[in-house]
Amino acid sequence: MIDVRNMTKKYGKLAANDNINLSVGRGELAVLLGPNGAGKSTLIKSVCGLLRFQGTITIDGYENHTVESKRLLGYVPEFPVLYPMLTVAEHLEFIAKAYRLEAWEERGEALLRRFELDDKKMKLGKELSKGMQQKVSVCCALLPQPKAVIMDEPLVGLDPHGIRELKAVIAKLRDSGCALLVSTHMIESVEEDWDVTYIMVKGRIARVCRRTDLAAGQSLEDVYFTITEGKGQGDTP
Amino acid sequence: MSSLVFLLVKSAKNTLLELRRKPAKLALWVLVIAGIGGIFLFSLFTRQNAAGSLDLVWLKGILFLFILLSVVIAIQKGLAKGDVIFDMNDVNLLFVSPVSSRLILMYGIVRMAKTAFLAGFFILFQSNSLSTGFGVGFDAVLLVLLGFMLAVGVLQILSLLIYSLTNGKPGRKLVVRILAVAAFLPLLVYTGVQIAGTGDLLPALENTLRSPLAAWTPVAGWASAGAVSLISGDTGSGFLFFGLLVLSGALLVLYIALSNPDYYEDVLVATETAFERKRVLAEGQINPEASSSKKVKVVKTGIGGLGPSAIFYKHLRESFRANRLGLWGVSSVILVLGTALFSLFLRGGDGRILILLQILMWMQIFMIGTGRGLKELYIHYLYLIPESSFQKIVWSNLEIVFKVLVESLAVFGIAGLIMKEPFGLVAAATLVYTLFSFLLLGINYLSLRWTGADISAGLLVFIYTIAVIVIMLPGLIAAIVLGSMLEGNGMLIGLGVLALWELLAALGCFALSRGVLHNSDIPVLRTGK
Repeated sequence: MIDVRNMTKKYGKLAANDNINLSVGRGELAVLLGPNGAGKSTLIKSVCGLLRFQGTITIDGYENHTVESKRLLGYVPEFPVLYPMLTVAEHLEFIAKAYRLEAWEERGEALLRRFELDDKKMKLGKELSKGMQQKVSVCCALLPQPKAVIMDEPLVGLDPHGIRELKAVIAKLRDSGCALLVSTHMIESVEEDWDVTYIMVKGRIARVCRRTDLAAGQSLEDVYFTITEGKGQGDTP
Repeated sequence: MSSLVFLLVKSAKNTLLELRRKPAKLALWVLVIAGIGGIFLFSLFTRQNAAGSLDLVWLKGILFLFILLSVVIAIQKGLAKGDVIFDMNDVNLLFVSPVSSRLILMYGIVRMAKTAFLAGFFILFQSNSLSTGFGVGFDAVLLVLLGFMLAVGVLQILSLLIYSLTNGKPGRKLVVRILAVAAFLPLLVYTGVQIAGTGDLLPALENTLRSPLAAWTPVAGWASAGAVSLISGDTGSGFLFFGLLVLSGALLVLYIALSNPDYYEDVLVATETAFERKRVLAEGQINPEASSSKKVKVVKTGIGGLGPSAIFYKHLRESFRANRLGLWGVSSVILVLGTALFSLFLRGGDGRILILLQILMWMQIFMIGTGRGLKELYIHYLYLIPESSFQKIVWSNLEIVFKVLVESLAVFGIAGLIMKEPFGLVAAATLVYTLFSFLLLGINYLSLRWTGADISAGLLVFIYTIAVIVIMLPGLIAAIVLGSMLEGNGMLIGLGVLALWELLAALGCFALSRGVLHNSDIPVLRTGK
C-alpha cells in the first residue's frame, strides 16, 4: 500500500534520507525507529507529499502527489497545528467538506467521544492544550477513513487515556486492513502490535526487522540498541 | 564579569563566522550594507533642495507619532508581561549561575541595544523620501535613527520597570494607566484648543508641534524634538532633549538595579512567552491569532463550501470570528483613516494621488503576506486535501483578493474625494493597486516554486522583493514613457498600461508557479530558537 523506492532527500549537501526503500502492506503496522536526527520525520513528510525528493513514493500504486493517493492517506504530524479560530467541531467539518465526505457526522462524534473531546466541541483551536490539539489532529486524520495512515510521534503529549485509546485505534485500523507507518521513540508502546520495524541511522535504513525475525526472548528494544549502539550487523534491504 | 564579556564577544564572533558557512546570508548583508552606503554616497553628490519641501515641523510630527505608538506598545507590554531583554538560554544558564544579577541586567541592556537598532533599521532606507520631502541629507537620517533608537531603548527599560512594579497589583496598574494618559493630556488639550481656535486641522497640528508642550512630552517629544533640533542646527536643544532620554534611561536602570536585584521573576514571563512564540512558529503555527490572549466569543458556527471552496469558507469563518468586520479588521480601518489623513497633506496639486499609490504599493509588498492564503502554505492540510493544486490555491487566496478590492475602493475613493482628483484617475489608481496585489500573490508563489522553499525565510523575502522590482520594472518604464509622451490624458494612459502589465505579469507568474504545492517543501519559519 505504501511503497517507497530509492528515495533520497537532500538539504544542500546533507542527505537527510539516503536511498530509502520501504513498503507497508495492507493490514500491516510498520514502525519507524531511530535516534534523533536519523531522518524519520523527513521520510514521513516526503511520503505525505510535503517535501520534494528523488525516487518514487506511491500509495496503492498512485504517485504520492496525485489526488487519488491523497484520498487514501491520513497524516498525523509530529506537531499538531490547528486553526486557532476554528472550534474542534469545525475542524472536523472543514475536513469533511474539503474531502467531500458523506454521512461523516456520526463517525466524527464517535472519534471525539473516543478521545474525550465530545465536551470540547465548541472550544477554539487556540484554547486547547497541546495534548488535546494532538487528539484533534488524530481525529482529523482518521475522519476520511484513510487506507494508509502515517503518524509521526503520535503519542507525544497525550495523556494516559489518550495513549491507550490511540493504541487501540492503531490496532483496530491494522485489523481492518489499513496500512500504518508510525514513527516513535516509545518502543514499548508498539511492542504488542508491530509487524515490521525499520530502524534508521544517519538517514539510511540500517535494519529491517520482521516480528518473525526475533529470536526467542529477544525484544524490539534489544534489536534497536544493537543497531543504534553499533553492536550488530546492519541489514539494509 | 569576564563570563558576560565572553558571551557577548563570542556570540558576535560566531554570528560573523556563521556568514562564512551561509554565503546567501553573507550576500544579503553585503547588499544591505552596499545599499545603505550607496544611499549615503548618493546623498553626498546630490544637492539638497529645500525649496518646495515640507517644513521640518512635519518630520517632527511623523517621528512623534511613530514613537508615541512605541510608547503605547511599551506601556501595554509593561502592564501585561514586560519586555523581552533576555533569551531562554540566558534564563536557563545565566540566571542560575553565580554571576551578579545586576551585571546580568547590564548584559541584557547591552544586548537590547541591538534590538533597538534593528527596530529602527528601516529608517536608513528612508533617505530618499526624507530628502525629497524635507530637503535633508543622510546626516538627518542618522539623527532620526539615533532619536528612534534612544527612545526605543528607554521604552524597553520602562516596560520592564512597569511590569516589575505592577505585576499582580491592579491598583498600581490603574495608576500607571492614569499617569500614561496624564503625560499626554496637556498636549491633547492644547491640540483641541488650537483646533477650536483656528478651525482648521493642519494649522492647529502645526501650532501644537511648534509648542514647547510637544517638545517636553516624555520620550516621544524629547526624541522628536532632539532629532529635529539637531537637523536644523540647534545643537543646544538637540543635546538637551537627547540628554534627557539618556538620563531617564540611566535612572530607570539604576532604579531597577538598586531597588530590585531579584528581578528574574519579572523578566521570566516575557522571556518564556517569547520563547514559546518562537517554538510554535517553528512548528508551523504562524497564525498570530494562536498566541493572542484576546477573548473570542463563539456565536455562529459551521463551514460552507465543498472541496477546495471549503478553504475559502473556512477563511471567512476564521476572519469573522477574529474580528467583527471580518476580512477588514483594525488594520483596514487604520489604512483608510491614515490615507485619508495623508490625503489632507497632499491636497492642492495635480496627480498627487500617484504619491499615495506609490506609498501604498510599497507597503503592500510586505502586507500581502498577512493574508490567510499564504499562511495556509505552512500548514499540512492544504497539501493533503485531495483536490487540484491550482483550485486549492485559487480558493485559498480569494479572501485576500476580496479584502484588497474593497480596501482599495475605500482608500482611493476617499482620497480622491479629499484631493478632488478626476474619477478616471481614481478608478485607474484603484485598478493598479488591486492588480498589483494580485501580482504580488503570483510572485510569492513563483518565489516558492523557484526556491522550493528550501531557504531561510529572510532570504525568501529578499528574493521575493528583488523579484517584485525586476518584474515591475518593464511595466513602470512603459507607463512612464507612454505617460510622458502623451499630453492631457498621459497619466491616465500610463496607469492603464501599468495595470495591463500587472495583469499579464501576474498571470505569467501563476502559470510559471504551476504545481508549486508538489514542487516545494512545506515552508518552515526558521526562528533561530
